[in-house]
Parts: sequence; C-alpha cells; structure tokens
Amino acid sequence: MMRGATLSREEIRCQLRRWMVGRNGDITLEQLRDDTPILEQKIITSLQTLDLILLIERLRGAPLDVTLLKPGSFRNVDAIMQSFFEGGAHA
Amino acid sequence: MLMKMAHLSEHLSTVSEAAPVESIDWPSALDLDQWFMAPELLSLHGCELFDALDEKTRKRLSFYEAVNFFSLNIYGEKPLVAGLADRLYARGFDEVSRYLHHFLSEENRHMQYFARFCHSYAGKIYPEKKFKIPADHSQAEEDVIFFAQAVVFELLVDHYNAINAADERLAPIARSINRLHHVDETRHLAFGRRLLAELWSAYAGDWGVPTRLKVRSSIDAFLNLTWRQYYNPEVYGDAGLPDPYSTMEIAWNAPDRVAFRAKVSEEIQTVLRQAGLDDGGRA
Repeated sequence: MMRGATLSREEIRCQLRRWMVGRNGDITLEQLRDDTPILEQKIITSLQTLDLILLIERLRGAPLDVTLLKPGSFRNVDAIMQSFFEGGAHA
Repeated sequence: MLMKMAHLSEHLSTVSEAAPVESIDWPSALDLDQWFMAPELLSLHGCELFDALDEKTRKRLSFYEAVNFFSLNIYGEKPLVAGLADRLYARGFDEVSRYLHHFLSEENRHMQYFARFCHSYAGKIYPEKKFKIPADHSQAEEDVIFFAQAVVFELLVDHYNAINAADERLAPIARSINRLHHVDETRHLAFGRRLLAELWSAYAGDWGVPTRLKVRSSIDAFLNLTWRQYYNPEVYGDAGLPDPYSTMEIAWNAPDRVAFRAKVSEEIQTVLRQAGLDDGGRA
C-alpha cells in the first residue's frame, strides 16, 4: 500500500470505503456514502476499530493518540477525513 | 445462582491468602543484549525477515515485544479490575465476592509490575489502539461476555507466561514477572472457567439462536482483536526495523504465525466448549 503522504484526499477516501466494504458483506461500494453512519449501521463493530485505527495510521504515516479520540471521530468517512486528514485534532 | 461456586471461591480465597507475595529484583538498568521473550514467541519468528536479523537486533526486538506484551496486559487487566469491582456484592455474585476481592487485588498488583517494567526500562507504556463503542447487550449477556473475555485473555497471556517463565535464556526479571503472573493466573483461570460455565448454564437456555450467536461472535472477535495487538508497528519501529506497518502485515500473514495463532486459538476454543459455550447452532 502507498504511504499517506503520497495519496490524495480522494484516494484516502477510496481506501477507507474499500476497507469498510471489505469488512462487511452487507454493503456495497455503491451503497456506502461518505456520510453513511458506519457505527450506527454496524458497518464496522467495536472490535474492528483497532484495524481501522491501524489503517488510518498507515494512510497518515503517523501514529494516533487514542486517548484524544472522540466517539464522533469514526462516525462516517467524512468525520474520519475531518478528524485525521483535514485539519481536525489529529490531522 | 452461583451456589455451586461457593466452595471453589472459599478454597481459592484460602490459597490466595496463604500465598506469599514474592518481590521482584529490579535492576537499575537493563542490558538490552538479552532475551526478554522466548524467540519462538516473537511475532516475526518464522518470517524470512526475522531470519535475516542479527542476534543483537532479535534481542532488541524481544525487549520491545516484552514491553508491548506487558502493555497489553495492563490494557487487558484494567477493564477486568473495573468489571470485577462492578460485580462485588452485586445481585447473583454474593457467593463469590470473597474471592473477587483477591482476584481484583492480584490483578491490580500485576498491573503495577507490568507498568514499572515498561516505565523503568522503556520509558513508556505502548498506547492502546482500541476504541470501545457501546453495545446493546443485556446484563446477562454482559456478564457472560465479560467473564468469557477474561478467560480468553488470561488463557492467551498465560500461554506466553508459562513458556517465558520456563525459558532459561531470558533475563531474570523477564522470567520473574512471567512466573509470578502465571502462578496467580492459574487460580484466576480455575475460577473464571467454572464461573463462565455456571453463567452460560444459567442464561443461555433462555436465549434464542440469534442471541447465542451474537454472544459467541463477540467472544470470537475479542480473541482476534487480542491477537492483533501482539503485532504492534511501534514495536518494529523501536526495534529499528524498516517500514513498521508493512512489517506488521508480513508478520500477521506469515504462515508460521498463522499456524501458531490457530493452534493456541483452538486450545482456547476447547476451553470455551468445555464451559458449555456452543456456537449458537452454526455447526
């Protein structure tokens, strides 16, 4: 996988969407929108958050401080982008 | 509900009260050119990447893997202590409250020496990478999942503790910590396995297949999540290995490691089945 520094924001969104669809057999890439609530709709579970955090770290090229995470940080793809890639506390 | 547990609880309490609290000899500094984990337990063992490392780097990796192992023990024991405290004198747990005090006290002591090792010799505890999302479980489901997760977690760490404690290649302090943990965990596992069987027997008969499946899936996912934490990219970075995230993927997918996890996981699944936990009708 390419490192975060070399990926455009759209490529990062694409990788996040693909990862989520790959973890959940009930939703397709066409159905998953960037504002789809991934936790409320159980597209990812609590026990998959570790893998999601590792994916985000890899895309960013830097570790996350998990103690600063808020429930809303993983609400949907838009929130992940805002929190970790586009000016949020972790970006 | 747990009347059958009263005798075991009293017996284990008596053993805990009689067990001497051994002290650990803490060196002021550690020479990292020693083994801190059995090499066969290292997350890269069996990978070409591991074979290509010189012995000094392998030992350095073993130090940071030990720090990671102790860190994830802390993160496993923190919710355990909280959950045990929640259940002290709670309805249905009166018969075992005496032993819950010992369980809690011993887990607290373990966290103290895990943290002391990490802070004294690595200057840090590796951050936890889990993020808990509230789940919609009933109290009965929560109780079964809590004690099942405790049994799963303790069986897994005890596999490492038992091997490390017996390995004469390891630095004395690493052996001591693993041995002391192993001795206490033996009692905790005897208690946890029996309690889990009692809880499952009391509740699961009233659950339909979807609930049993949900509970079982949650326990299986917890096991997988726990395994994942043994493969920490920050460990590989600290040990001086290139591209820690790629190294993590290589280690996680290496056939030797996949086979190792499958073998230990099957031992854990056997214990869960012995406690009566079926798969909700999947088989």
